[in-house]
Amino acid sequence: MKTSRFAWLRSITAGRLLRPPGAIDERRFAALCTRCNRCIEVCPYKSIKPAGITSIAGAGTPVILAREIPCYLCMKCPPACPTGALEPITDKRRVKMGIAVVDEKTCYAFQGILCRTCVDECPLTEEAIHQDEMLMPRVTDRCVGCGICERVCPAKQPAITIRPREVVT
Amino acid sequence: MTHRKQHVWTRWRRVVQFTVALFYLALPVLHLFDVRTVAGTLASLRIGSFDLTEPASALAGALASRTFTTTLLIGIAPVVLLALVAGPVFCSWVCPWGLISEGLDKVRNRIAPRKWTGETWRVSRWPRYVLLAVLVALSAAAALPLVALLSAPRAITSLPLEIIYLRMISPLTAIVLLGVLIIELVAPRRIWCRVLCPVGTTAALLRTPKTLSVRWEESRCACPRTAPCHTHCPWGVDPRKKMTYDACTNCMGCVDVCPHDALALR
Repeated sequence: MKTSRFAWLRSITAGRLLRPPGAIDERRFAALCTRCNRCIEVCPYKSIKPAGITSIAGAGTPVILAREIPCYLCMKCPPACPTGALEPITDKRRVKMGIAVVDEKTCYAFQGILCRTCVDECPLTEEAIHQDEMLMPRVTDRCVGCGICERVCPAKQPAITIRPREVVT
Repeated sequence: MTHRKQHVWTRWRRVVQFTVALFYLALPVLHLFDVRTVAGTLASLRIGSFDLTEPASALAGALASRTFTTTLLIGIAPVVLLALVAGPVFCSWVCPWGLISEGLDKVRNRIAPRKWTGETWRVSRWPRYVLLAVLVALSAAAALPLVALLSAPRAITSLPLEIIYLRMISPLTAIVLLGVLIIELVAPRRIWCRVLCPVGTTAALLRTPKTLSVRWEESRCACPRTAPCHTHCPWGVDPRKKMTYDACTNCMGCVDVCPHDALALR
């Protein structure tokens, strides 16, 4: 697999940020967002924060740190965007923020400890995540990437994390 | 000489400026009490379902991302209309950074009186438009909303939100405000507002011959070469020179101080 010499740079500047629901593709998003903060202000959970300068082009853009405060899919922010950087979707099933990935090395269920916290807390439980016949959590492609599972995972380092939908290549 | 009008315009202007500043200080407090029907900064404000979007940042961003939405166009329409009718009043009547800039300029001038560098209109007319063009071109080329990033009105109205509501300061806001502050303190008088600010340049660009502006009636004027209208102008504009109106923001300070009623808004 051929990797760009500047892949590390891209990993800082784009693709590693979890965007609020409705966000258009990463490259256009950072360009279209005017950093007006309206999505940040309408979020009742304070899930959305302005990104720091390490995200260079994305400085000031809205990001969600799921382990701190995930997105509860209240769908108030997409219609708040004045430029269309967030598309005004209201159906939470159409959200595509990212997808949850289970780390089988640290996930309690995979270590033989009975745990189904992520499955229970998922707002789209049984659709986006379910337990297989061995009682292991399995994420489906219906996962919207809200990050609630990452927040509630009882492992010290979350064993289920959101991979932002878009990794710019 | 007596100022019969007692700086009526300037007084109203201060009322409006401080009201806007207090509004953006109060907004994050309202959010703390879960009132979110009004939200935003000077980059874009939502009142209920009504949008007011600052055109320079929004259009540069739309160009950079090649994405134009009707929400954006509807949002900038009232702001563009205001500039077309009333001139760049955004700078002199609305922008809280404009208020701070005027204050800093007064303080600086009290400590060490400075002259305006040259005749303002000469130095300020083209550089600001060239700079805006460069910023917009760079925004489009680099897919970066440089206009929005450099917007002082966005940064200054974002600051209370970040401190009061989010309990943090975003590095972007901090860097922009620090940079602009340093420029205000060491660079030529008010050069940020007069030349560098892309938001102000866009507002000035929207001035048409029909836009309200201060007109000078030569037959009424009895002032010598240096007139109070020129020395009092917070933008370094000489209202008696027809070419100056590019930098004028319709703050009406000159109309207030004119002893002969030779200046009027028309």
